[in-house]
Amino acid sequence: MTLVQPNPAIIEEEPPVSLWRDAWHRLRRNKLAIFGLGVVVLLAFVAISGPYLTPYDFLSQDLAARNQAPSLAHLFGTDDLGRDVFSRVVYGTRTAFLVAVVVTAIALVIGTTLGAIAGFFGEPYDRIIMWLTDMAMSVPNLLLVVVINASLKNPIARWMEAQYMATLNPFYRETIWIDFFLVFGSMALISWPPYARLVRAQVLSIRTRPYITAAMALGLSNRIIMMRYVVPNALGPLIVSVSAGLGTAMVLESAFSFLGVGVNPPTPSWGNMISDGLRVWQHYPHLLAAPAFVLGLASVAFSFLGDGLNDALNPRGTK
Amino acid sequence: MTARNAQERLLDVKGLTVEIDGRRGPAVIVDGIDLHVGKGETLGVVGESGCGKSLTMLSLMRLLPNKIKVTKGTAEFDGRDLHKMSTRELRKVRGGDIGFVFQDPMTSLNPVMRIGDQLCEPLIYHRKMAKADARKRAVELLRLVGIPGPEERLEAYPHELSGGMRQRVMIAIGLACDPKLLIADEPTTALDVTIQAQIVDLVKDLRNKLGMSVVWITHDLALIAGLADRVVVLYAGTVVEDAPVDDLYANPSHPYTRGLLASIPTLSDAPTARLSSIGGTPPEPGRRPAGCPFAPRCPLAMDICRREVPKLEPISSGGSHRAACFAVNKALKAA
Repeated sequence: MTLVQPNPAIIEEEPPVSLWRDAWHRLRRNKLAIFGLGVVVLLAFVAISGPYLTPYDFLSQDLAARNQAPSLAHLFGTDDLGRDVFSRVVYGTRTAFLVAVVVTAIALVIGTTLGAIAGFFGEPYDRIIMWLTDMAMSVPNLLLVVVINASLKNPIARWMEAQYMATLNPFYRETIWIDFFLVFGSMALISWPPYARLVRAQVLSIRTRPYITAAMALGLSNRIIMMRYVVPNALGPLIVSVSAGLGTAMVLESAFSFLGVGVNPPTPSWGNMISDGLRVWQHYPHLLAAPAFVLGLASVAFSFLGDGLNDALNPRGTK
Repeated sequence: MTARNAQERLLDVKGLTVEIDGRRGPAVIVDGIDLHVGKGETLGVVGESGCGKSLTMLSLMRLLPNKIKVTKGTAEFDGRDLHKMSTRELRKVRGGDIGFVFQDPMTSLNPVMRIGDQLCEPLIYHRKMAKADARKRAVELLRLVGIPGPEERLEAYPHELSGGMRQRVMIAIGLACDPKLLIADEPTTALDVTIQAQIVDLVKDLRNKLGMSVVWITHDLALIAGLADRVVVLYAGTVVEDAPVDDLYANPSHPYTRGLLASIPTLSDAPTARLSSIGGTPPEPGRRPAGCPFAPRCPLAMDICRREVPKLEPISSGGSHRAACFAVNKALKAA
């Protein structure tokens, strides 16, 4: 090569700005999104460090101090068993985050896998997976969860009891596993279809991009192309959808707890606190107000954050 | 270099036909193409947009988009038919034995992956290299294609590089596993002229160093003159002329080739002279004329041209220069 090397200063385009840094700049200008982010971070902190923040144990009852109005000793008052409502709300945050994260993670894994397979490999996988998705979406959510809980809870509980009798392993005495398995499982079951559809649509459009053909021309396996070329490029819209999905999962869990098919008492959940508080709200409005307010705040925060991320990650959307 | 043509064929394509499943039924896009590339040879494939250059090459790697299929023909690479290989074998050939450089450097690199990782991918996958060795080789490759500061560039994302740099990265990826054949699909179309010249020099240089064969697809006849050993001219999915590069420019035979060469402006033209062009447009796939596909635009067209399809026939004594034209063959026999 005898030619002179090009001067890098001339051919260099604008200074390098990565997609994520660019998105972060746009997100920072969105006040509502930053508010949402702040609330989410705060709630996450509360959820993680819950036991160190609460003045009382969420189960300890003080029958002498039942149904007290908010005071300095009990920030959100006490409930009908004299339990500190503030501590229960904090523990409820833990439950809500646990449910939201686990359910969204399961739904995301199922949805992304199925959606990517449907979009990438085309017929006949596409048709079969989309049938499954439509089927799952066609069943009313609440009905499905109620049916699953009503029909499976007792058999599983009986099986666990039998296992305990046979092995004396205390693991089988923890009814919380039933909660997790049934509640998380049934919620994930109704949450994955939107992810599958979103990922499929993304993959369908990404599949025709030249860099996918280029990757195939390199002889890479389909698995590598999916994991490293297709899915990472589909991530933007997925992040937006996950942020909104976390909020939805919290509301969903509360709705199920409210109907009595969610996390079982005495594990505190915003939903069963709302359900308890609703019976006595004319006399003790704080029992309803505290969990309902926090639930509302969380749901609004996630939705603002999702909207903000949507604008930040889609430069072509609103300016 | 022409002497090598008689040597072993690395790639031998016979009667390759590609069809698209259109709304109005199947239409032929590539119509029985014969092509061959010798070991160490550089073949230029020339033709205007839409004549089936890229599809021919994509079909060799079985990378055709949906609804476009190979319906006839064989494509032997190193003695094995690419179209009959199992997917597993084909994957070894793709990127391993045949390197592919794509047309558009702006969209052919994965935007969310660092250059280094994309370069290492074929090395780790085909050569089973350890990550550290692959990175060393990646630095070597970037240096080979003339990218300054290769160590830092490994960490860059595609959008941080200019078009010329990206095209060099594409070439480096194509060369990663020392392929026997490099297929370059208009690799310089998106670049400006100085960088074009550098890339051509680079490929020539590498070809001489590594002894690989090259198929260079372009519509730029001037560019191919300095690069190829032999040139194949495609028109509407058929080979109309196949000649050693010097022969083609000294003695273009097919009226289409002549038209193409005549339409290259030269510096000695009067500034006011009109640029020469070939009248008409190429036929749409599915509406090909009955005879020679070029007949409707051909100044030499005779009755037979509209009825029968001419075959590719030798027009020089050695048989290395071939053209598919009744008029040329007739003149030859008359002489």
